[in-house]
Amino acid sequence: MIKKCELNLSTVINFKPMKKIIALFFAAALLAGCSSESSNKNEEAKKSQTSIPQIELAAFNEEAGNYVDQKISVTGIVDHVCRHGGKRLLLVADGADIHVENDQRFDEDLMGNEIEIIGIVREERIDESHCLKMEEDIIESHNAGDIDEDHFENKQKQIEFYRDSMEKANVEYLAFYSLDYVDHKEKK
Amino acid sequence: MMKKIRKWSRILHRDIGFFFIGTSIIYALSGIALNHMNDWNPNYSVQVKEFNTGIDLSKSAGTEENILHLLEEINYKGEYKKHYYPDNSTIKVFLDGGSSIMVNLNNGFGRAEYLKKRPLFYSVNYLHYNPNNWWMWFSDIYAVALIFLAISSFFMVRGKKGIAGIGGIYTLLGIIFPVLFLLLN
Repeated sequence: MIKKCELNLSTVINFKPMKKIIALFFAAALLAGCSSESSNKNEEAKKSQTSIPQIELAAFNEEAGNYVDQKISVTGIVDHVCRHGGKRLLLVADGADIHVENDQRFDEDLMGNEIEIIGIVREERIDESHCLKMEEDIIESHNAGDIDEDHFENKQKQIEFYRDSMEKANVEYLAFYSLDYVDHKEKK
Repeated sequence: MMKKIRKWSRILHRDIGFFFIGTSIIYALSGIALNHMNDWNPNYSVQVKEFNTGIDLSKSAGTEENILHLLEEINYKGEYKKHYYPDNSTIKVFLDGGSSIMVNLNNGFGRAEYLKKRPLFYSVNYLHYNPNNWWMWFSDIYAVALIFLAISSFFMVRGKKGIAGIGGIYTLLGIIFPVLFLLLN
């Protein structure tokens, strides 16, 4: 009996129009699966995009501290992509700018385009121990002849600026914020 | 056995060498270009033009129109993209191809930086930086091929000019040079 059934089934499958129908059925099922998966993905992407806080670039430095290690979205014009390595870009708006870092190279054609970037806020803290370490490093590099006089003086001025800023603000550290790139879309 | 290895080393060294001539030139040219990145812009040639303008570029509803007038005035044929004000007295206008213009709003002094892609170097540098996965895999294959070319050269020639003779001395010198550099640096 079983043998008979198997025979019948194989006869059915060998029937050419039936083969096409089965193939079509599988293709349709696959497409339906893909489209529902992609529409689910789109919905998820939309959801996650709408839940990402949007920060005005001009207010980034004031607000970034509330979003350290979190995703935010910010819109600005790409001023330039770093020539060395191309993994850093400067995003600008009236009177404000931020650096955006990426693992991959940025497309240089983005220069001058207005884009919305989604990224993770990173904080770099500069305190007295950081200044001391910087001082040690530049003295060592200067003594070894690795940096020239101008570079040395500029670095010293920078350290002085950090110390003055901490003293004026009466704080133990200065916080600098940047964005780790996740995604972007171009604005028309 | 050694005869067979020598024969196949020659054949493969020759054919793989021919196949990767183009890739070698790409990496050699871009290597030189990128090594001297501090001395020049390897991707773009930059032409600077200074000018004075009486056009009002301060923030207003007509700024974009005024920028287009400025582009006509300085004879710029490309496209305007965007602009912004880095501070109260400066406007920066972005043009196509990475070019830009900065104008001092107080005295009308302007400076245009026109960027032009260096035809050959832009392309080879682009490839050098692994623009996508396909190129990454291709360059990995190229790197493996370079190792093969290096090793196969041991077996290609025998006798005084081979690895047991002058070839060995050259090989040693080629290894000593980077090792010395590392030790002395």
